[in-house]
Amino acid sequence: MSEEKSARVLVVTSGKGGVGKTTSTAALGAALAHLGEKVVVVDFDVGLRNLDLVLGAERRVVFDLINVIHGVAKLPQALIRDKRLENLYLLPASQTRDKDALTEDGVAKVIAELRGKFDWIVCDSPAGIERGATLAMRHADAAIIVTNPEVSSVRDSDRIIGLLDSKTERAERGERVDKHLLITRYHPWRAARGEMLSIDDVLEILSIPLLGIIPESEEVLRASNVGSPVTVNAALSAPARAYFDATRRLKGEQIPMQIPNESRGIFNKLFGRKAA
Amino acid sequence: MNLLSMFRRGSAPIARERLQILLAHERDARGQPDLLGVLREEILAVISRHVSFDPDKVQITMDRGKTVSTLAVDIEIPNRRRDAGSAAVYGRLTFDPAPAGARSQWTNGLV
Amino acid sequence: MSSLICQRQSLTFRARSYMAFVFAPQPPIADWLADLDATLERSKGFFAGHPVALDLSAARLSPPAIAQLVDALAARGVRVLGIEGIEPADAGKLPVLRGGRGIQDVELPEPAGANPASKKQEAASLLIDNPVRSGQSVVFIEGDVTVLGSVGSGAEIIAGGSIHIYGTLRGLAMAGAAGNARARIFCHRFEGELLAIGAHYKTADEIEESLRRGPAQAWLDGNTLKISAMN
Repeated sequence: MSEEKSARVLVVTSGKGGVGKTTSTAALGAALAHLGEKVVVVDFDVGLRNLDLVLGAERRVVFDLINVIHGVAKLPQALIRDKRLENLYLLPASQTRDKDALTEDGVAKVIAELRGKFDWIVCDSPAGIERGATLAMRHADAAIIVTNPEVSSVRDSDRIIGLLDSKTERAERGERVDKHLLITRYHPWRAARGEMLSIDDVLEILSIPLLGIIPESEEVLRASNVGSPVTVNAALSAPARAYFDATRRLKGEQIPMQIPNESRGIFNKLFGRKAA
Repeated sequence: MNLLSMFRRGSAPIARERLQILLAHERDARGQPDLLGVLREEILAVISRHVSFDPDKVQITMDRGKTVSTLAVDIEIPNRRRDAGSAAVYGRLTFDPAPAGARSQWTNGLV
Repeated sequence: MSSLICQRQSLTFRARSYMAFVFAPQPPIADWLADLDATLERSKGFFAGHPVALDLSAARLSPPAIAQLVDALAARGVRVLGIEGIEPADAGKLPVLRGGRGIQDVELPEPAGANPASKKQEAASLLIDNPVRSGQSVVFIEGDVTVLGSVGSGAEIIAGGSIHIYGTLRGLAMAGAAGNARARIFCHRFEGELLAIGAHYKTADEIEESLRRGPAQAWLDGNTLKISAMN
């Protein structure tokens, strides 16, 4: 339990749907826990919850964020501890309600209570720019903007960055939310052929520091199928290593950025998953 | 075109099984009053008739399975002598695949 | 018996101010509408999407006439935000506006081709020290706007004076919004969606491909919006 260090509230957001927010929340949350931090991941996608599924906790959900907000359950009763990583907890979203059930006050109280119990509070934002997304970002100290190297995703990310500078408590106090770009679903060969926006293109347009580049990989799908974050299920795979690097950068370490390339992929395929 | 994937067991069957269990429970729950909430309240009401306890000290865990789901209700009950003591009540609920409702049998073990 | 404790949601009210153009028609209304038509003829859709307030204090219209005027404006693509200078009962479905602060007189370009009599711009200028993100809208009728950074796709800069973008313009830039025909737009790299000076505009489609991805400036030559590369 951390008393001296103050908790960090992190929002994982994108604007665009389907780019890898939930996958990344699970992967990064698990990586942080693996590195010794006490972490809670919070699902803000009320009505369409996914974080429990990706973490393999779907059969153990008893109470959720909405229940806590409405006083039906206490926070400790709703937290689900991960079976593999004892430092990792999940606060699931409701599957039967929708985003109107979230209240600004309720979210503020839950975040405040979580700050006293955890080192990192990672909020998985829903897609879009409405209530669920703005409440997920409201209390963030830092944001991870998940972006695919593709035009709609980049524009939506730009929009979300604008909102981070206006709809958060920090922005209202005149402080900055630290922003980190996480590029996901990177295809080395599509980029080489110019069929995909390059990393430089995306960085130039969005102008925020790059946290990591996660290559497209079957391991991500596999991890989701079995209900385990990719950083746990296939910790030596390319996406997992990229997530671990990103996690270390989040904690302040300087790690040189590796751009995933195709040759390493072929190497992996010929000689198994444990390459390098 | 990946030779290795032929030797590796696919993860799709695991995903399918997880989804089947999950959706069976979610479809069952749709439109019905919250079974879990009802059970919790009734169990607590019954127990409070015999002993007093702090409702905040109640921990409920659940594991939903294909044919058998386990509901564990863990309550800290203070002993008469004011020492810390706890009682645990375990219930086992079996769910039919057909939406005919749940049969339940209760056992309790006092520790 | 289960009980759900519902928390009463509390409502928060916030206030925001928006910039709107003001139409103050003078009777006879038919003539005023004809003048408006002539203006719109030269720049179709200029007011589309921008809020317009209707000041009827000089017009003295009856409630049916007010409704007709609002419809006539709607037919021309002008959406009226609210009406001022009338009795609340006469407004019909539209809100009555009160307490509007004049920012600057906006001269609609003269229909007969006479030089627009633009008022001298004040020396005020707005400096924006960060990129302007998609969905953000910067409106500064008082003078020039300078952006130290890029302007994202889906963002807007609207200035009474000139616009200077030390970055890439991907969104919309409208200079001389109060009628200053000498206002210009400058950008380090042009990849924008729309350029406008006063009531004259060009969309990305109408702008030469060769001008994209390089430094460019836009200005008004008489009644034509011109864009050229800057080297």
